[in-house]
Amino acid sequence: MRSRDGNRTFSLRLCSIIFFYSLALNAGEYLISYRYVVKDAILYNDLLLVSHAMQSCHGKPQKPLILETNDTNNLKQIISKNPDEFMQYIHKLGLDVKSTQITSNLQTTSTTILTLKTTCFKVDFNDNFAKITPIK
Amino acid sequence: MKYFLLLAVLLSASSLVASDTTIDNPKASPKTKNITVVCPEHDCPAVKCPQEKKKPEPVLSVNSNVRISVVGQGVAPMNTSSPAQAYALAKRAATADAYRLVAEKVKGVRIDGQDLIKNMMVKRSTIRTSVAAMVRNATIVETTFKDGLCEVEMEIVLSHSDFAR
Repeated sequence: MRSRDGNRTFSLRLCSIIFFYSLALNAGEYLISYRYVVKDAILYNDLLLVSHAMQSCHGKPQKPLILETNDTNNLKQIISKNPDEFMQYIHKLGLDVKSTQITSNLQTTSTTILTLKTTCFKVDFNDNFAKITPIK
Repeated sequence: MKYFLLLAVLLSASSLVASDTTIDNPKASPKTKNITVVCPEHDCPAVKCPQEKKKPEPVLSVNSNVRISVVGQGVAPMNTSSPAQAYALAKRAATADAYRLVAEKVKGVRIDGQDLIKNMMVKRSTIRTSVAAMVRNATIVETTFKDGLCEVEMEIVLSHSDFAR
């Protein structure tokens, strides 16, 4: 027997399937690494590397980070436009620290290198936001 | 005359007392100062070592946390295009410094020294300190920026489970 609201449940199901498939199509896996060098208490160099993952990543998804996209699907640009949020987030993921201080004839120079080792991130692009989830 | 004699007696008595005390002190001082007790482990249990009262260092026991707090400093480069850029760059440098301090506190520092002596003269004296570590879950508590110097207060909470295997 046909229900009073017609085929509304069917159309809702269809819409939700299309919606989730579109989300899945917009999702991608990226490899991100970040490194910055501080020499004598001054930022000397920073390097952000982003690339598509050639193989699917295995592991459990961790707590995601949501960034504003500003009408772009370029992940590197998105991260570059939200540096504070990204930095704060990668602090929680963990950074490698390498520091060397050399005192020669009573003159000191120091170099500190912070590195986010290459990590796989699952990235979902929505209309205004990108959801970045590390997979570990 | 009487008063003069009384004064002389008083002065002589006081000088005697003073000389007694000066004689007593050198006797007492070598007893207390010059004794050094060397205690190799388990060799002289009868002798108690003089122990300095030190502030106990925090120990990471089971079901307890240790909070480590450091302040990192960073300076903005000279050729910045705006104060905001100067602040951002100085903050990042200060953060790296804070990370280094956390790593030094938790893991320790490796120190290498080298002196080059030529013709009985020190030509070069070099001290190299280094640390390498992985720091996770460090949080920035406070950031201050004043006169081109940025200070970042960073905290990390260590729990026993982080190290237990």
